Amino acid sequence: MERCPRCGHALRLRKPFAVQRTWACVVAAAVLYVPANALPIMVTTNALQREEHTLLGGIHELWVDGSWGLSIIVFIASIAVPVLKIGVLGLLAWTVRYAPSWRRLERARLYRLIEAVGHWSMLDVYVVVLLAATVRFGSLASVAAGPGLLAFASVVVLTLAATWSFDPKLIWRDDDHRMSAATLAAT
Amino acid sequence: MSDREIARCSRCDAIIGRGHRLSIGSVLALTIAAAAAWLVAVTAPLMTIDFRGGAESATLPQAILFAWRAGQPFVAFVAALTALIAPAAFIGLRLYVLAPLALGSRPAGFAWCVRLLHQAGRWNMIEVFTVGVLLSLVRLAGLADASPGLGLFALGAVTVLFATIESAGLKHLWWHAT
Repeated sequence: MERCPRCGHALRLRKPFAVQRTWACVVAAAVLYVPANALPIMVTTNALQREEHTLLGGIHELWVDGSWGLSIIVFIASIAVPVLKIGVLGLLAWTVRYAPSWRRLERARLYRLIEAVGHWSMLDVYVVVLLAATVRFGSLASVAAGPGLLAFASVVVLTLAATWSFDPKLIWRDDDHRMSAATLAAT
Repeated sequence: MSDREIARCSRCDAIIGRGHRLSIGSVLALTIAAAAAWLVAVTAPLMTIDFRGGAESATLPQAILFAWRAGQPFVAFVAALTALIAPAAFIGLRLYVLAPLALGSRPAGFAWCVRLLHQAGRWNMIEVFTVGVLLSLVRLAGLADASPGLGLFALGAVTVLFATIESAGLKHLWWHAT
């Protein structure tokens, strides 16, 4: 096996099993996204009341409370970004096999968008951890992580793994002939 | 390439390289500043809450430990990895590599360090964590007296410094090492 003369990393034409690994992560993330939304991610207790908050429920509460900005930010970080990642990576994995020459440039751009924006879905995980660690006033006021948080954190990690498993070079598969011809024509 | 020039792939438009803006010495200085800021961010309280006479505050390690003990080990681990370990590696590995390079020699294990730095850059989410602290503060604002701690301001500095250091990339390390 060839190795990079600079850093010693193995040199490979393609990332091994990129599409399979991406699919596995995407499907697992999609499956876990259900309990992440159905189960509460945060439980708040004040005086005599105990409230369970789901992802969507929390976003709705923020909106109704008048915190529109917060509501939108949490919606983007916890709903829009993960769904976008799952959808786009699923699309990318599917098109590599079934629509290999469809809109290559746009697909490459979509991948880079996902790569850039992906880690923002961790936002709500951090918020729950922080609130649980600081709002500790016993029965007067306390915050605890709900069972949905584990599922959601798993979804975030899985979508990151899916992004890093995919080989964006696959988008340009079989484009080499056209590229070589174009390069020849340009010189 | 000159300052601020960007090279893009002619086929897929991805950025291949940027012109040098920062020298090894500048990146080293920024990394030292980031190390100082990060130490404060990790040891000082992030926010303090006053509620009915009682006050609670938490630092980043305390928050992670709390999650671990409260029965969320996986969440605690992911938070630790992305908000503590990755940023620490980002700074630590760079210091280990940049200091000898600035003095003209190549440190032992250089290749491994740069490969690890690539991973550290991927897993680092300190800027998301900073926004997370801000969000938590705003969320609590109406319900209790929540005030930002020194740790949060340090996190702000860390976020800005990290972004600047990252813009220098990793390739310049290879160019200076050969």
